[in-house]
Amino acid sequence: MRRTLLVFCCLLYCGLAQAMSVTFINPGKHDEIYWLTATRAMQAAADDLGVQLEVLYAERVHPRAVEFAREIVARPRDKRPDYVILSNDYGTGPEILRLLDSAGIRTFLAFSGRGDDKGPEPMGAPRTQFHLWLGSLEPRAEDAGYQSAKALIQRARKAKLPRVGGKLQLIAIGGDRSTPASIARDEGMRKAVAEAGDVELVQEVYAAWNRARGAEQSDWLYLRYPQARMVWAGNDLMTFGAMDSWRKRGGQPGKDAFFSGINTSTEAMQALRDGSLAALSGGHFIAGAWALVMLYDYNRGIDFATEGLELDRTMFTLFDAASAERYLRYYGDMDFSRVDFRHYSKAFNPRLKRYDFGFQQLLK
Amino acid sequence: MPQNFRSLAYALIRRLALLATCCTLLFSAVQGVWTYHSVRQQLLGNIQYVASSNMPMLSVALWDIEPATVRQQLAVIAARPGVGFVRVNVVTGQMFEAGDASLLYHNQVSRFVIPPPAGGGKALGELLIVLKDNYIYRQVALALAGMLLGYFLLTVLLCALVVYVLRRDLEKPMHAMADFAGRLGPHTLTSPLRLQRGKRDMHDEIDLVAAGFGTLQNALTEHIESLDQQVAERTRQLESALADIRDLLTHDTLTGCYNRAFLDERLPQETARAQRSGQPLALVFCDIDHFKQINDEYGHLVGDEVLREVATRLRSQLRNDIDWVVRFGGEEFVVVLPDTGGDNARLVAERLREAVATSMLLEDGRRLQLTASLGVAIWQPDEELDAWLKRADTLLYQAKMQGRNRVES
Repeated sequence: MRRTLLVFCCLLYCGLAQAMSVTFINPGKHDEIYWLTATRAMQAAADDLGVQLEVLYAERVHPRAVEFAREIVARPRDKRPDYVILSNDYGTGPEILRLLDSAGIRTFLAFSGRGDDKGPEPMGAPRTQFHLWLGSLEPRAEDAGYQSAKALIQRARKAKLPRVGGKLQLIAIGGDRSTPASIARDEGMRKAVAEAGDVELVQEVYAAWNRARGAEQSDWLYLRYPQARMVWAGNDLMTFGAMDSWRKRGGQPGKDAFFSGINTSTEAMQALRDGSLAALSGGHFIAGAWALVMLYDYNRGIDFATEGLELDRTMFTLFDAASAERYLRYYGDMDFSRVDFRHYSKAFNPRLKRYDFGFQQLLK
Repeated sequence: MPQNFRSLAYALIRRLALLATCCTLLFSAVQGVWTYHSVRQQLLGNIQYVASSNMPMLSVALWDIEPATVRQQLAVIAARPGVGFVRVNVVTGQMFEAGDASLLYHNQVSRFVIPPPAGGGKALGELLIVLKDNYIYRQVALALAGMLLGYFLLTVLLCALVVYVLRRDLEKPMHAMADFAGRLGPHTLTSPLRLQRGKRDMHDEIDLVAAGFGTLQNALTEHIESLDQQVAERTRQLESALADIRDLLTHDTLTGCYNRAFLDERLPQETARAQRSGQPLALVFCDIDHFKQINDEYGHLVGDEVLREVATRLRSQLRNDIDWVVRFGGEEFVVVLPDTGGDNARLVAERLREAVATSMLLEDGRRLQLTASLGVAIWQPDEELDAWLKRADTLLYQAKMQGRNRVES
């Protein structure tokens, strides 16, 4: 009896000791749909995997992310997380990695990696300059731009819009000029335009991911390019801005002009359903949940290094009216408990050799 | 000081101030116009520069549709000195403004076409920059204020210097000289002019005037001295002439004896004196005997000679300064003997008869025997002069009647 109790206690101790803790430094605002969705998905994964998840919102104030890192380092050893997941937004990555590395805390970059900075400074490759920086997982942002632009062009062709010099005019509204994800989305869009051949990208402007600015710039652009009938945007909000402006001019989005967007907001899904939005690409919010799965497997001794340290995977999926319907039905209330994330873990599925991070599978 | 007095320094300062004011006004006008044009040109150049240097960013901001950036750009341009208002008219209808829009209708507008950033193609819009006239005026005012202050200070300093030099070198010495000249009189004519002017190496006009004063004083002194001498000479001559005249009035020119006028004047004094002192007073009438015959026989010249001789002989017998002889007329003499009583008078008359009664050597060598008859009358107190003379004459007549060459008393 005494021996049984000892074994139980020992197992309990081991169990507690093995309960892995992760802190996610969220660069976004706590009420921002995209980042809230990402957090909910991560929480669902953490629940499935028995991971203790803590989320800290930087509220889009970049220095706050670094402050969080300092605060974590300052904690007593037993209150520190085993892993910290962060996004390399606005170049805050290197400083956070340095702080946490020196405190002996393992780190992982999700959503945004080190971008085009592949040189030794200031970050170097994972597990080199900062030994405890394990790696990164990024949604392939180019896919989003490419998918949405291609679908938009196809829709416009089908509508037999008037052409200028045999070409369909496209207006692009990017997020900003510097964020790697923004640049990649633009590149995807340009690739689709180049492949199409009958499309002219008349101008690309940057609306800082903002609906009002998207609307304002559209006001100008419609006047500057009266023949243009296609608007591609780097996110859903800027698309809605462009649509607002078009409606203000008396137009009907989805009928006399076509719009595409990126992201999985409810409003976007509804717009896709009612036809005013021609194309929508999204689902990359799931990157945080996938990162948690990878770290869980790593913690269990299954290193993702076999697949690469800096993973740049297809995550975006192109929605159509049907998938939008499903998305709203499944996750419209941001509840991802429907998904069993253990299903995607190598630790739970020894036969799984390669992670599949596509969002498409979650819509079945 | 006279009422219409005005000092040289005041006159000079008034003219200086007038000249400075005129020059200042003239120069201010020229400077003002010049400054206005140069500031305006400079401002237009600046605006050109500001427009061209801001154009690329403005063009990009418009092309990229960054209204916030456009507004910032315009605010920066509007904040430039001299720029009053900026406007961007976009071809797509938007308009951006910064500054004071009311300036647009009253001030010069510079217009610039905003090209697309890549060049070529249609213009994106138009940039209007309106210069602020107030800025130019302020610059002009500043420049003029500086110049006016400079002129004012210069004028004040010049005037102060003029006043100082004039006071020291002109006014004070002049006043001193005026005072000196005012105080000059017959007695102070020789006192020299002394000016308190300190030690100087060079001489000036004041020194010339002071030296002139000295020369004038010397000449005047000399002139006055020579005048004194002349006056003394003339006085002497006049006195001598006057003495001659007096002589002529009281003396008989032929004999040198007193004349009738002198007798009329002097005799009352003698009687008054005798009356006062109680002393006797005698009167002797003397007439040359047969004088008419001498005249006829020897001629008038001998007659005159005889008269002179008799006078001399009479005078030789009398007391100097007490007794006196008057030629009473013709060959008749009157001798007045103060302080002489009856006996003494008779004695003196006898002596006189004897003195006359000697021969006289004429010039031609002939001898002529002279005699005279005399009448002596002692003055009776309160006796009338005419009565007294009549008495003496009567006595003389008696002597003639008694045979001549005798004394009757």
